[in-house]
Amino acid sequence: MIERTPWLNLVTHLILFTGLFILVVPIYLVIVAASQTLPDVMAIPAKLLPGDQLIVNIRAAWEEAQFGTKFTNTLILATGVVVGKIVIAALTAFGIVFFNHRLRMPIFWMVFITLMLPLEVRIVPTYAVAANALSPFQTILDIVGISWIINAVSGIEVALEWNLLNSYTGLIMPLVATATGTFLYRQFFLTIPDELVEAAKMDGAGPLRFLWDILIPLSRTNMAALATIMFVVGWNQYLWPLLIITDPNYGVAAVELSRLVPNMNTTGGDIPNWHWAMAGTLIVMLPPVAVVIFMQRWFVRGLINTDK
Amino acid sequence: MTSASTSAVAAAAALFASTAFAQDKVTFEYWYGLSGQLGDVVQQTCDRFNASQDQYEIVCIGQDGYANAVQNSIAAFRAKQHPTVVQAYDAGTADLMMSGEFYPVHQMMADFGIEINWDDYFPGIANYYASSKGQLFSMPFNSSTPMLYINKEHYAAAGLEAFPATWEQFEENLKALKAAGQECAYGYAPSTWIDLEQFSMAHGVPIATNNNGYDGLDSEYVYNTTIHVKHMENIKLWYDENLLEIRTSQGGLNARDSFAQGECSHYFGSIASHQAVTNLVDGTFDWDVTMIPVYEGTERKNTVVGGASLWVLSGKSDEEYRGAAEYLKFLATPESEEFWSTNTGYIPVTKTGFDTLVSKGFYENAPYKGRELALESLTYTEPGPLTRGIRLGGFIQARSEWSNEIQAALQGEKTMQDALDTAVERSNAILSKFARTYRGKELP
Amino acid sequence: MRRAYFKNNWIAALVVAPQLLIIFVFFYWPSSQALYWAFTLEQPWGGGNEWVGFENFVFLLSDDRYWQSVRVSVIYALATTALAMGMALILALFADRQLRGYKSFRIGLIWPYAVAAPAIGLAFRFIFNPSAGVASYLNYAFPDIWNPVMNGSHAMSMVIIAGAWKQVSYSFIFFLAGLQSIPRSLTEAAAMDGARPMRRMMDIQLPLLTPTFFFLLVINITDSFTDSFGIVDTMTSGGPARATNLMVYKIYEDGFRGLDYSGAAAQSIILMILVIALTFVQFRYVERRVHYT
Repeated sequence: MIERTPWLNLVTHLILFTGLFILVVPIYLVIVAASQTLPDVMAIPAKLLPGDQLIVNIRAAWEEAQFGTKFTNTLILATGVVVGKIVIAALTAFGIVFFNHRLRMPIFWMVFITLMLPLEVRIVPTYAVAANALSPFQTILDIVGISWIINAVSGIEVALEWNLLNSYTGLIMPLVATATGTFLYRQFFLTIPDELVEAAKMDGAGPLRFLWDILIPLSRTNMAALATIMFVVGWNQYLWPLLIITDPNYGVAAVELSRLVPNMNTTGGDIPNWHWAMAGTLIVMLPPVAVVIFMQRWFVRGLINTDK
Repeated sequence: MTSASTSAVAAAAALFASTAFAQDKVTFEYWYGLSGQLGDVVQQTCDRFNASQDQYEIVCIGQDGYANAVQNSIAAFRAKQHPTVVQAYDAGTADLMMSGEFYPVHQMMADFGIEINWDDYFPGIANYYASSKGQLFSMPFNSSTPMLYINKEHYAAAGLEAFPATWEQFEENLKALKAAGQECAYGYAPSTWIDLEQFSMAHGVPIATNNNGYDGLDSEYVYNTTIHVKHMENIKLWYDENLLEIRTSQGGLNARDSFAQGECSHYFGSIASHQAVTNLVDGTFDWDVTMIPVYEGTERKNTVVGGASLWVLSGKSDEEYRGAAEYLKFLATPESEEFWSTNTGYIPVTKTGFDTLVSKGFYENAPYKGRELALESLTYTEPGPLTRGIRLGGFIQARSEWSNEIQAALQGEKTMQDALDTAVERSNAILSKFARTYRGKELP
Repeated sequence: MRRAYFKNNWIAALVVAPQLLIIFVFFYWPSSQALYWAFTLEQPWGGGNEWVGFENFVFLLSDDRYWQSVRVSVIYALATTALAMGMALILALFADRQLRGYKSFRIGLIWPYAVAAPAIGLAFRFIFNPSAGVASYLNYAFPDIWNPVMNGSHAMSMVIIAGAWKQVSYSFIFFLAGLQSIPRSLTEAAAMDGARPMRRMMDIQLPLLTPTFFFLLVINITDSFTDSFGIVDTMTSGGPARATNLMVYKIYEDGFRGLDYSGAAAQSIILMILVIALTFVQFRYVERRVHYT
């Protein structure tokens, strides 16, 4: 749009600069702390200019936390969460927006409620499920009496077991289960005009064809946003991996990072290697930041949907 | 052991080694709470154990904090995926005891024919983890007790020499430091462990009835009626008069780091911090530690242990228990104790371990000089009924009640007496809930 | 609302099945076990329990400390949501004008999202540190004007700012994505009719943004109730004197650090009911104003 709005442009820039400033200052301080020696980090008043120890600290943090394998694991975890979530969320939202059945809202609410009880709160029983993901079914079979019948008829003892501890599946599955993605897709699918559905039906396209040919291409912007968000969520997972991973070969980055951060609650107290902790924060931040910077190009108008 | 028999054992071990290689080693897990540098040292004890023999392999997994170690062990225990050994902190002792889901180490060592001289453990440490009959349930491991850390250069600048033995003297010193222009004379952070628990031990006053809970589940807190009230009122007074400054990690530098930066002249902290303070100060100023003061007219008693002990959980195989027993035995050797005490600030838990270090002159020079005072504090008197330790259920919550009320009083929302009354009332509700949860059970 | 539907309901059943299966195993099954504890006194190590009915709830609802925790949680949720969404919306609207430097702004505004909550907590602790951080310069000029360690409202505002900061980039991403998907032809047509940029924002972009707005409102409010643990834990530990003792933090502290599983389960149920009620209100009253097509 070619119009001259010099004042508004100035205001725009001012607002954006202020926003940028507010958002970037905390991270700038992380960088400052990561580039100083320990005494400088602890100095009073705070030193607000970066030091020259950045590389030294990053190297120390890298070695201390052995980030090599952790990064691979975290990458697998985050990618798994992204893919699983996008697929499952799109399917569910499709099922509750484009079909006329009585269970639409109940199913939506059932999915949605999962947002309301965070993992911190239900960690103990969730662990039990991760130790044997089939235990709910076993219990149901036992209660209903089916195990007994099978046992009586065939002589086979029904003992379902699927241990997810120390596995990528165990890391990924519970994170895929939550509702954010489904909700996002629902919001987007609701904006799809009825005419599109009618047209598709007129052309004789079935629901799956409609999903694949029309909805998926249309929802690419949303998908990019969701993928970005879920990658970051997956990458920053802490409490769940800490609990179910006891084999260091499956360790993830955020857990390793928190080991660098001094724990003030331990009686003995630790040497507060803040400079390493902050350098570690920077390293661990890099992959998600790279993903965010890469993915955000897809939000740009014109790259996709040029015809809109 | 003579050199001849040593080589015989070595030969036998070599023979065994070849057969043991054929079969798999017995592997068992140990979850610990210590993190950072202290966690690294725990890991090293595991590596040393694995290198010392070839029958067992201990897999040590850091759980990033005491609370996590206990909480994750419980989650795992309920799913039958728990470790054989877990490091549990002092405050979780009563909950673990009531669960009954552990293999008392005293029993385990006897079952596997491993000789441990239980009398060798310092009573101030052993009693904390022992049954009513005095038998150890868990293995004392990282043990500490609080100390007063003093910046000697600030003392010199204020013309002070003697370290305070009483709180009255301590107050005089604070005033002197302040008069000499010292900005922060006392870096303070409310701590139940120091201000309430160890303070009450050193003064020989009760924290709760039933000898601090040792004699039954129907205990009640009474610390709002003891000299503890006077002490907390003094803290408030000193705060109002700017004789002390609140230093918590939420506000940036915690009390220890404020001390180590040379900002504050005093701070009360665990002896385990001795190593960290040494590293942080790094020779930039002269400092020392002394026992925590008592009020005039009080007969000083022993303090008790803080830190954590190692529990062996139930539901494991004999093989794993044997491995765990070997590991605990390994930790109890003077060599292991020396390794642990040299690399951390924690103190030895056995008299032999301590004597070995003393005879080597360990405590005579910096940076270890002063740590022997922690043992003096722990062994100042024989532990009596009120100075054995604390055995109260839901103690973690009770600690938080105390801290929150103290914060409210320091903010001036209420008087110290009101605050302590409320904390006691609310903590008693926690105790009675705990007693009901375990109705029909008794402390072992 | 929608009038055109597909008829093959068996396909609908097929596509919703995976998610339902996963949430059943990983959410509903374990949660129902945890919720059962709310009506018992559960021994943490699994030694058994005693049925006590609503006793845990009665205890909580008569406890003024619990109500105080509810109160600060509501304040926190409303304040962080308003701050984060307001800032994100303004930034997105102006960023969408795509002036020079737009790309750099966009990157700069989005990437803070990638920072993990504990790191944010630490950075903010440093900023707001009364004696050593950036805020110490403020205290230097006006003694005692800022002390989150001892002053409850200061601590609360600090936690709110950090919590809002965490959410700004998130909301910004979605607002921007929403704005980008508004057909360009619409705004161009309005421009040709002589509508100035501000007018176009108000008349075209904002109304078309309502589905995104509604999505973010629900997510932000829910999130600020359920996902505040990391920030409180690193910044204040719920203090001073419980001033920042948000519900999720209290549940975790009481239940899993303090080993009171039953009390924590009862608190979880109340938290769930509260969030569901709030969400319901939003769906009932706010969604009606949302223009989907």
